Amino acid sequence: MTRVTDDIIIRAVARVMIPFIQLYALYVIMHGHHSPGGGFQGGVILGASFILYLLTHGLEEAKIRMSEIKAGLFSSFGVLIYSGIGLLCLILGSNYLDYGKLSTILKVVPAQARSLGILGVEIGVGITVMAVMFSVFFDISTGGELPEDEE
Amino acid sequence: MEVTVLVQATDKAFEILEKARNEARELLYSSAKLTSEAKSLAEKREARAFLSGAQQSRLAFRNFTITFFILFAFWILLSGRFDLFHLTLGIICCLLVSYMSHDLLFANTRVGDIRIMVRRFFSAGPWFLGQIFSANLHVAYLALSPKMPIDPQIIRFTTKLESDISWVALANSITLTPGTITVDIREGEFFVHALDRKVAYDLNTGEMEDKIAHVFMEADHVYVQDVLDVSRIFGALK
Repeated sequence: MTRVTDDIIIRAVARVMIPFIQLYALYVIMHGHHSPGGGFQGGVILGASFILYLLTHGLEEAKIRMSEIKAGLFSSFGVLIYSGIGLLCLILGSNYLDYGKLSTILKVVPAQARSLGILGVEIGVGITVMAVMFSVFFDISTGGELPEDEE
Repeated sequence: MEVTVLVQATDKAFEILEKARNEARELLYSSAKLTSEAKSLAEKREARAFLSGAQQSRLAFRNFTITFFILFAFWILLSGRFDLFHLTLGIICCLLVSYMSHDLLFANTRVGDIRIMVRRFFSAGPWFLGQIFSANLHVAYLALSPKMPIDPQIIRFTTKLESDISWVALANSITLTPGTITVDIREGEFFVHALDRKVAYDLNTGEMEDKIAHVFMEADHVYVQDVLDVSRIFGALK
């Protein structure tokens, strides 16, 4: 069980920092096709922001923000985006995750379709990584015990 | 015999006094109830209780917008790309983050104009820089003098500041000033390690605390803003 910190400095600074950490994570995800970073790195940062909230404000308050069920749903939702884009390419008649074919749906040139496809895949990866990171930490901090109403 | 009579007499007198007071109180209450003013007061209270929900949502909306604009400025600073696609992405991301954590950035802010706070924050900057500079010189003197006349001590004081963010601001500015380090804060009580007597004395005068209270409009500085607002209204009336 994670104990809530009683240090007011850590709590207050974490409270102020968390929105900026989350925005930075989204920046890393969204600019993954231009600069270093991408879905995994951004997802880890985003998950770290929730973990920081859990560490500083305790399990009960973190549950309000991101519950175990939500984390599970998000982790599968991200995989759904990833594999959905991949299968869409397969349906359109090219290889799995070959984004060039998406240009027929998106009505853009193939190069831009590739860029957008990679962005979509990275968003999916980011969501999954965030949710899995958080749920791993959540499981560690609860000792693997699910509350009765969430079983 | 005489004593008992006296006691009875005083008892009676007290009883009469009590009765008179009760009667007067009842009269007052009934008159207060009958007046329309009391009625309107009760109505006002009800209206206030009803409005507080709306006020709360208005406050949440204000926090949301302020958080959004701060985050969007941060996004532009990070991104550095000004084409429509990236700006739209930025707006979506900022909306998402503000939705997720708009209650975090301004969780414990008290009533007070944020513009005044920002102005005071920047006007207090030079004073802090000067303080850091002079403390630097003092610590350099302590370190360089052959005798090294240090006198380490932990001092403890209770702050008059009220919100957590101003405690953190005070603790960090104490730590930022060379020679002093905030060790702990417990229930508004600061434990500060000071390098020598002069540094500890400077801290005990409470000037830094006063500056922080001024920036965050707390303790005795909260009324200053009211005065300012009234003067502004009078200026507009002229």
